[in-house]
Amino acid sequence: MPSRIARRLTDAASRIILGKDHAVRLALACILARGHLLIEDIPGVGKTTLAHVLARLLGLQFQRIQFTSDMLPADIIGVSVFDQRDASFRFHPGPAFAQLLLADEINRATPKAQSALLEAMEERQISAEGQTWRLPEPFFVIATQNPADQIGTFPLPESQLDRFLMRISLGYPDRAAERALLAGEDRRELVAHLPTELQPGELDSLFEAARHIHVGPRLLDYVQALLEHSRAGAGFSLGLSPRAGLGLLAAARAWALLGGRDHVLPEDVQAVLPAVAGHRLRATGDTPLGPDALARRLVEAVPLP
Amino acid sequence: MPSLRRDQVGWLLAGSALTLAPHASHLPPAISALCALLLVWRGFINQRGSRLPHRGLLVVLAAGVVGAVLLEFHQFFGKEPGIALLAGLLSLKLLETDSLRDARAAVLLSFFMQLGQFLYQQNMAIAALALLGTFASIGTLLALQGRAEAFAPRAAAAARLLLQALPLMLVLFLLFPRVQGPLWGLPADAYSAVSGLSDDMRPGDIARVSESAAIAFRAAFEGDPPPPAERYWRGPVLTRFDGRSWRPGPSRRQDQPFYRSSGIARPYTLTLEPHNQHWLLAMDFPGPADGLVYGDDFRLLSREPVRNRLRLELVAHPATPVGLAEDPRTLREALALPPGFNPRTRALGEQLRAAAGRADDIPALAIRHFRDSRLAYTLAPAPLSRNDVDSFLFDTKQGFCEHFAAAFVVTMRAAGVPARVVTGYQGGEINPVDGTLVVRQSDAHAWAEVWLEARGWLRVDPTAASAPRRIDGGLAAALPDMARLPLLARSDLPWLRALRDRVDAVNNSWNQWVLGYNPARQQALVASLGFGDTGWQSLTALMAGSCAVVMGGLTLWALRRMRPGDAIDRSWSRVCRRLAAAGHPRHAWEGPLDYAGRLAREAPEAAPELALIAADYARLRYGPTPADTALLQRFHHSSRKFRPR
Amino acid sequence: MTASRAAITGTIGARLQRWLFRVGGPEAGPITLGQRRIFVLPTGFGLALALTLLVMLLASINYNLSLGFALTFLIGGIAWVSIHHAFRNLVDLTVSPGRSEAVFCGEAARFGVQLHNPGLRPRLGLQLWPRGGSSDETAFDIAPQAGTVHFVAIPTHRRGWLQLPRLHLETRHPLGLIRAWSLFQPDQRCLVYPAPAADAPPLHHAGDAQPGSAAQGRGRDDFAGLRHHQASDSPRHVAWKTVARGGPWRTKEFDGGGSQRLWLDWQQLPPGTGTEARLSGLARWVVDADAAGIEYGLRLPGLELPPATGGAHRHACLAALALFEQPTGHAQPAS
Repeated sequence: MPSRIARRLTDAASRIILGKDHAVRLALACILARGHLLIEDIPGVGKTTLAHVLARLLGLQFQRIQFTSDMLPADIIGVSVFDQRDASFRFHPGPAFAQLLLADEINRATPKAQSALLEAMEERQISAEGQTWRLPEPFFVIATQNPADQIGTFPLPESQLDRFLMRISLGYPDRAAERALLAGEDRRELVAHLPTELQPGELDSLFEAARHIHVGPRLLDYVQALLEHSRAGAGFSLGLSPRAGLGLLAAARAWALLGGRDHVLPEDVQAVLPAVAGHRLRATGDTPLGPDALARRLVEAVPLP
Repeated sequence: MPSLRRDQVGWLLAGSALTLAPHASHLPPAISALCALLLVWRGFINQRGSRLPHRGLLVVLAAGVVGAVLLEFHQFFGKEPGIALLAGLLSLKLLETDSLRDARAAVLLSFFMQLGQFLYQQNMAIAALALLGTFASIGTLLALQGRAEAFAPRAAAAARLLLQALPLMLVLFLLFPRVQGPLWGLPADAYSAVSGLSDDMRPGDIARVSESAAIAFRAAFEGDPPPPAERYWRGPVLTRFDGRSWRPGPSRRQDQPFYRSSGIARPYTLTLEPHNQHWLLAMDFPGPADGLVYGDDFRLLSREPVRNRLRLELVAHPATPVGLAEDPRTLREALALPPGFNPRTRALGEQLRAAAGRADDIPALAIRHFRDSRLAYTLAPAPLSRNDVDSFLFDTKQGFCEHFAAAFVVTMRAAGVPARVVTGYQGGEINPVDGTLVVRQSDAHAWAEVWLEARGWLRVDPTAASAPRRIDGGLAAALPDMARLPLLARSDLPWLRALRDRVDAVNNSWNQWVLGYNPARQQALVASLGFGDTGWQSLTALMAGSCAVVMGGLTLWALRRMRPGDAIDRSWSRVCRRLAAAGHPRHAWEGPLDYAGRLAREAPEAAPELALIAADYARLRYGPTPADTALLQRFHHSSRKFRPR
Repeated sequence: MTASRAAITGTIGARLQRWLFRVGGPEAGPITLGQRRIFVLPTGFGLALALTLLVMLLASINYNLSLGFALTFLIGGIAWVSIHHAFRNLVDLTVSPGRSEAVFCGEAARFGVQLHNPGLRPRLGLQLWPRGGSSDETAFDIAPQAGTVHFVAIPTHRRGWLQLPRLHLETRHPLGLIRAWSLFQPDQRCLVYPAPAADAPPLHHAGDAQPGSAAQGRGRDDFAGLRHHQASDSPRHVAWKTVARGGPWRTKEFDGGGSQRLWLDWQQLPPGTGTEARLSGLARWVVDADAAGIEYGLRLPGLELPPATGGAHRHACLAALALFEQPTGHAQPAS
């Protein structure tokens, strides 16, 4: 039962990431929809821990890159080195060759380094020196980034943001969760001893199940109406791309799977909309809106068909 | 100015052509040809996409139209020149039409021209043509307003509009308070097209009338129709004779018959075609009836000339004795002969009087003489001399009924018996389809009346003396050759007659119910609907009420939500409506589960069963299809029963 | 006197219109054209037809033309039915505010108005125009269960927020005899930037000396070091000497003063320049600086935008100019 597995996963993750059920669930839905995740928040709220937990739970081969301003693309994807013995170049794969890549503080790197990673995310392969190497399957990137107004950062341009299926933020834990955090064990310890929840092949069956969640014509009407309004409606100066529409649907499917349903409801779409559309939409007017306010603005302007 | 699209001009031309086509039957050929030419020209321009003709050329053409009308009618006023001018104007207008405004003006003009056609003819074919023309005009207006579209969808839209307008049209047609026209003086030529008997008679007149197969009137008898020998329909009674033509004498009129009706009564309904005269062609002798005028020559008259088909409920008393106490002046008039005409006939009359002894025997003697003279009954008698009665009786011996009647009357007067000519119709045919007696112009007839002391005026039909079958079998039976008879009056083509009978029966209903729908009929209809008071106030109220019903129906139709949705949607929106009425409306963007969840938090007591209904709805609406039928039934059932508190 | 009288009649007219056509202020969210919002009157052509029908009716009475009555009533019935068609063509349409990009003063503001047809019938021959506009707008259709975005152009005369004026949606479908219309005002506004001055001092003279201070950026003037080679690096920057020596591929890096950082300052404009002229001048500088790819910041009395580049920054600067000393939140009515 894929939905039972999914339930098991969320429960296990929530035991470590305290008080962040919704964000954990969104992150899991993002993975099940085979999308890359961007976590945007101030340092120290557990972004890295979340990525670790997901990797452990899903049994994915994990790599972490800490991005810095002097980082070069080769530091991510690998480099060809001239071997003088046989007078040829040999490719040394970089940390990108992992199933789950945690790109920490991606906005600290220069745009060039960022784009090297983002190209890999999109193509799921790496080209260097005229050769192409396939990345492992599955391949996920969980990138974390500091809020844009911090100094010394290179905010991701819109075209790059579009490659992340979701952007979520964690926020401070609430009082009870904070207390449990303070009183409990070191999270890092917990993660290190976290057992893999999935049997071999179960992750694939989850992907498969998410892909086959039913989407009826009425729901497609709704998604289309949302997309159209984001493009033509008042209040948005940048609408959702077709890729965003596909992502929205995939994320809603995964969300429905996590909810234990075999079909997608408008509620599913609305639930994932802030995470999926928040970093893709731009509001008109002088005040920038947060992803939740943006998504609410969109949702409330489009009646259900 | 935006130039018109090809499809717009196409519709406009079709509408104009359909409107103008029936006018060809009465327009001067020159005008008809010019109109046709202009239409074809405009069609050609539309097809080729070439330029419209120069304005100067149009002015020349317009002058041509005006000239043709002037040449034909010598004036512009009156119905016929007016219609001819309008026809030319419409065709010319099309040739300069290249804007929406012009095209719409042309459509209005063609509506008017369709009405103009009804002044001449109102039969079913014309009505069908007018309907087709209206359809094309509506198509034109649709094309002028909308985008370019293929013929079929545009025609369907026009037909839909026509059909939707039908109820309103029926209501107005039946209930719009009818006023008997005219409201103002009509042009002198308004009714020139009607044919039939006239006020005077010259030799050959009746023969000319009887060449037409047009229907003069119909009579539907309540019981059996009378035998042919009784079917004498009285028209003008001609007493004055100037040697050439016969004219009516002075006659008194009153609103009661000049006789006391007696004997067998034959009630019937007379439906008279308009002939623009006062006489009503009742069968001898009409009993008292309201609103009509009786002449002392026993004619039944109307107060107004009969300009529309007229329907009368009458009773005939064929055996009534009439003219027992006749005015001596009338009798004097009925004995007068112009001096210097027909000496041989006068001699014959004196001879007959001498032979008879008693005045009562003279007519019979004369009839016997006529029969012995072997007079021939023909539609085309040989030409007669100045003394035409003499010439007919003694030389050519060929004549039609007016010759027989005139000769008999002259003979009687010469013999001292007061006599006069009566024109009218004799005979008629029973239509086997609907049982009505149809009397045509070819049944026009002239006979004689003689006045005998103590017996009054007696009908004598001298034609019967030489052609007895004229009375029993109609004109076709009496005439030796059928060559000159109208095709439809000929008896040797039975299938043709059957067809004619059928067409006549349909035409009769058309006349009765459509064309003959007059104030009286309207009142009868309203009375039959149970409205006792049939004044115009109640009629107007009835019309307004019916119109309101029709318009209300149209409004409902317009307001009907043509929204997509099936039974599931309807059930769900009913649930939402009821919750909204209970003060918990669903946001337009709110999904079913969210809605149920919100209500469970905000007002858990209001709708405890909502969660289940919402879950069912979500499953049915968004889940894989086909859904479980049990689930569907449960959902419909629970949503129907759902009552929020 | 005349001015006050005009004002009074104007007020009365506005009240009358509000009462008659039920239009208040701007409405937020989707506006559904219910039956109470739709008005129907005959067009000029409709009146002409009515006159024609009256004449036809009189002629029918006068000549006792039964078929004349029938024809007159049939055409009249069709005209009446067309009222319902026109009404039905508008009812239940929903209007919601669409997008409107900011424009410079003097350009026409283009307001996107979203019209949605929830029904199963197409809506034909619609025309939309703003108050004071004309009815010769080209007609458009909306397919069943579909929407369309129609753009309304409003001339701009002042900077700041421009409120979309009241709109007039009309149809003469199907026969052109009847016009059905509805009035509404979606709550929608458009930002109008100050018009860039044509006669502003050139950008590089904006300041006493070369304005702003140079910042570090990647240029091609001064050699700064070597780094790993990337396939995408220009061959001109490959350290060929190293390669030739058999060493690894390296790319030379340079620093340069190619990019500038510029402060566009209210005070830099000649003294005695009026507020609007200053804003226009600054708008011109913002546009030019953006076009030149220069990093620029904006200083207004009481407001400072730090130097940056890009479309968002340009918008922020121009918006600041547009809304300078304007009461926030209040949109000006379209004039």
